[in-house]
Amino acid sequence: MGILKYFKDIFSGLWNLLVGLSVTSKYFLNFKAVTTQQYPEERLPLPARSRSMIKLIYDGEKDQFNCVACLMCAKACPNSCIKLEGVRQADGKRRMTTFKLDFSTCIFCGYCVEACGFDALTFVSEEYENAVYKRGSLLQDEHAMKWVRQAQPIAPEEQKKETVIPAVVGA
Amino acid sequence: MFTGENIIQIVSGFLHWAYAQVGISALAGAIDPVITAIVMFGFISVFVMFLVWMERKVSAHMQSRIGPNRVGPFGLLQTVADAIKLTTKEDVKPVNRDKIPYFIAPIVAFVATFMGMVVIPFDKGMVVQDLNVGILYIIAITGFTVIAILTAGWSSNNKFALLGGFRSAAQIISYEVPLVLSVVPIIMITGTLSLSGIVEYQQQAGYWFIFPQIVAFIIFITSATAEANRAPFDIPEAESELIGGFHTEYSGVKFAMFFLGEYIAVVVSSAVAVTLFLGGWLPVAFLGFLHLPGFIWFLIKLVSVIYLVMAFRWTFPRLRVDQLMDFGWKVLIPLSILNILITASVWLLLYGKGAQ
Repeated sequence: MGILKYFKDIFSGLWNLLVGLSVTSKYFLNFKAVTTQQYPEERLPLPARSRSMIKLIYDGEKDQFNCVACLMCAKACPNSCIKLEGVRQADGKRRMTTFKLDFSTCIFCGYCVEACGFDALTFVSEEYENAVYKRGSLLQDEHAMKWVRQAQPIAPEEQKKETVIPAVVGA
Repeated sequence: MFTGENIIQIVSGFLHWAYAQVGISALAGAIDPVITAIVMFGFISVFVMFLVWMERKVSAHMQSRIGPNRVGPFGLLQTVADAIKLTTKEDVKPVNRDKIPYFIAPIVAFVATFMGMVVIPFDKGMVVQDLNVGILYIIAITGFTVIAILTAGWSSNNKFALLGGFRSAAQIISYEVPLVLSVVPIIMITGTLSLSGIVEYQQQAGYWFIFPQIVAFIIFITSATAEANRAPFDIPEAESELIGGFHTEYSGVKFAMFFLGEYIAVVVSSAVAVTLFLGGWLPVAFLGFLHLPGFIWFLIKLVSVIYLVMAFRWTFPRLRVDQLMDFGWKVLIPLSILNILITASVWLLLYGKGAQ
């Protein structure tokens, strides 16, 4: 029996190697199986609720920021990286005058966005290339953080369809 | 018909006319080999560069990646960029190295494999030197790589390099035996050691030796992969176990020499496989209407065999040292001896004693 098992092992081993070769060759010949996204030229759409950058919401109709300088965000911030000042206007309402967020110490925990009761701070998904050449550029003021909400936010169902990564074909 | 033989005739005719013009016809016997060597070196360098590109593309597509695609069309110039980077790099040497062997080892590794190209027939008459002991010569000359690897491992004064060198010596000596034994049946059938003679025998017989000798072909390709130190038999330079093996302490041009030598070893062993088993420059039977010149057929077959070797590398996991030795001594050598026995018996039964 020993000699038969010897040849049987050789043939089954050879067969297994051929199966392995057929799998890799299938992938090699199927050029559509490539899943690489070449980043600067090709970009995957990000999910609508991905947390890429913190922005100050600007109300285009009223021509002012939503922020009323209640300082809740500055108190919620664990790193104390938000500095803002406000002023009481003639009509008795408070308005923000200067807003500074130091992104070099910000950890993007989102506590400020949660603490905001006036829909003034938000996470946006589209602006995710946040690298800068100088550390000072990370200290952003209200002009840099100005963001106008789009008229019609994308429905979650539509977004889901776009973000499906092409499935690997074959095998 | 535009054949390899015609090209050789035209080129040598032009060269001898040029010698006559300059007035150095008497030196033709000395200059011709130099020019041949330069042409072969240029061809093999460009071909190896193409192979490195091909290997990266093959591995990339097998892993659902793209591979090099930035430098030049389809990334073809990527290897040129890599070569420039390697040659202009600082040559870092270990202080306690054994100076002379350390310097000689990469040269031997390169020359030993490059010399194998001398007897490869690319086409009828398109061969540098058609030795009548061609196969013997190739097996002997490519065996020199083990000396280079051992020397490199020893002279680097590095325990990992030395371990890699010793492993490599054990491996190459073990796999040399089935490599030679797998060639023996073909020599028995054809009765010649000349590579051109073997191709001509296949032309007369009307079939390629892969059909009666499929076992020999598999054994040959396996042992040739092991001889060239390529995965799955790359334990001499197993990156995950031995850093870089014998070329740990080599950088820059010297590393490039080892790299080039490894690829030329693949080219030479694949070329021998094409010559012995796949009919060399003979056209593929059912594609004979294409009327391509012989050396184009040879190159097509060569690239196909090299693709097979590359597919081995990117498909199979590396063998352990004891598995490697088991596989060589307990499987390949008995199988090849059995193959010789069966081939000899069948040929004797079919053709009688005067087979040749």
